[in-house]
Amino acid sequence: MENVNLIGPQLLLMAVGGLLLICDAFAGLLGARRWMAWYVVGTPGLALLGGLGSLLWAVAHAATDTRGSAFFDTYVLDDFSLFFAVLFAGVVIAVVLFSVDYLRGNRHQAEYYALVLASAAGLMFLAGARDLIAIFVALELTSICQFILAGFLKDDRSSEAGIKYLLLGAVAAALTLYGMALLFGLSGSTSLEGIARAAAEADDQRLGFVLASVLLAAGLGFKMAIVPFQMWVPDVYQGAPTPVTGYLSVGSKAAGFAVAARVFVEGLGQGAIAPDWATMFAVLSVLSMTLGNVVALVQNDIKRLLGYSSIAQAGYFLIGLAAVAAGEPQVELGLGGLLFFAASYAFTNLGAFACVIAISQRIRSDSIADYTGMARRSPLLALALTLCLVSLTGIPPTAGFVAKLYIFNAAVQADLVWLAIAGVINSVISAYYYLRIVLNMYVGEPVSPEPVRPTPLLAVATAAAVAGLLVLGVFPFPVIDAAEAAARAFS
Amino acid sequence: MLSEWGHVGFLLVLAIIFPLGGVVTSWLFSRLRLRPDRPNPVKEDTYECGIPTEGPAWVQFNFRYYIFALLFVIFDVEAVFLFPWATSLERVAVAGFIEVLTFVLVLLIGLIYAWRKRALEWL
Repeated sequence: MENVNLIGPQLLLMAVGGLLLICDAFAGLLGARRWMAWYVVGTPGLALLGGLGSLLWAVAHAATDTRGSAFFDTYVLDDFSLFFAVLFAGVVIAVVLFSVDYLRGNRHQAEYYALVLASAAGLMFLAGARDLIAIFVALELTSICQFILAGFLKDDRSSEAGIKYLLLGAVAAALTLYGMALLFGLSGSTSLEGIARAAAEADDQRLGFVLASVLLAAGLGFKMAIVPFQMWVPDVYQGAPTPVTGYLSVGSKAAGFAVAARVFVEGLGQGAIAPDWATMFAVLSVLSMTLGNVVALVQNDIKRLLGYSSIAQAGYFLIGLAAVAAGEPQVELGLGGLLFFAASYAFTNLGAFACVIAISQRIRSDSIADYTGMARRSPLLALALTLCLVSLTGIPPTAGFVAKLYIFNAAVQADLVWLAIAGVINSVISAYYYLRIVLNMYVGEPVSPEPVRPTPLLAVATAAAVAGLLVLGVFPFPVIDAAEAAARAFS
Repeated sequence: MLSEWGHVGFLLVLAIIFPLGGVVTSWLFSRLRLRPDRPNPVKEDTYECGIPTEGPAWVQFNFRYYIFALLFVIFDVEAVFLFPWATSLERVAVAGFIEVLTFVLVLLIGLIYAWRKRALEWL
């Protein structure tokens, strides 16, 4: 029972997902009117309750200092996994709020919410898994659900997104598995502890460990959406239902970094190979930032633009991972920076997607040209989107500024000054396309005078995200403390 | 260490020699006219099972089979997990029993869902 409590937040999500499926299977017996009630209120309501319950459970863990490892040390509830559990529960709530109006009229929404909940449970397992097999199972749990979600609309674009994501995801899973098999062969253990022990003393097997790191980075890089494993991002982001795009760009990406941090810092952090993978991540970071930002400059579709922007943001995440390897005090700074960046990015990007959903639902277009004059059609939405884009650029007083400051500082402290400089140059490039949208919204004649109003649920989600990014920008200290405590979980 | 792998290497050599030897000898014999060469349609058939092959391999089949295949695989895997549990039932005791019950329950939810969504009916 002790074990069950430790994985409570995930279990609750999965149980609610199963309940949704069962209730939906029998809802047809209720008669047409009650079925409508179930369909309109019951399904999203139950999913939302699941998300809230999971969040409360995770917060209760944090408040009561419940920590420990479960299931023969394959899953661990420490500050690190708890930080991500809270983050993912928040993401689930946001995704449910986004989806309610987006899915109106879709007959399969119970399945949709069940898949969202199950994949979120997978994300939480991913952040706490300490065993290669547990990591792989969690990775597949979340990936398979997300493949279906990406193709959920069943129109041409969405199906293409689903298939593309599935095929490339299968390749990535194979690469991950190959890397894991190598690690197991080199260390004789599937637990990260055993791998860490083997990696610390095995100087003659350095080549093998480097090869394993490269394969693992390739497989996990697919989840993190970093160059050169970013090919799927624009098409999948554009084709998938927009709430799912928001989910992929925040939840899936953060989980990718969580598991990469755990495998590389906890498993391969000691010994001669740490500088090798740190250099690899530093190079990939510069590539991701540059490619994402440069290609985003010429995008006309807002979902594609946010897709490329998320590749660029993944580059900033990687700075934190590259800074970790420099030595003992760096673990806290680099990893703390990564975690704080994840929190700030979650609020910012979810807010941006909430605005995009609200606007494109009304104007039936994802083209940036149609955002012209949006400030006159909907002053509040335009303001919210502006704040999110400003935060993505990294301008005070928003969360993005603090996060970038933190993570660049970590790079400088780790003697990676060139990386910090590359990051700053890239932030300047990104300002052009982020602020171009802002300019577009405030200057120029609107395409049509018709006002754009968000639905109440989207308004709540947007307001919460914007409030979050402003609070994190002005008073970030509680979250920074939590991030640093989480980063200490590895040492 | 290496000598233990010698057995595998020996088997590898045999595995290459046997099929290759047959093919090469047959080809050699026919070139040297040591064996008669009289092909006919029955002899050149893809399958020598006695039943004549019919039509091309690219035929359409009902995609609904995949749902049955899916359900079959799920419950097949369930059986794979149940056997080791059953043999060690005395050691895992009540806790193991409850765990397996949960596992079966989860699969049962899937089965009920499939049944209610009419995946089990052949339309």
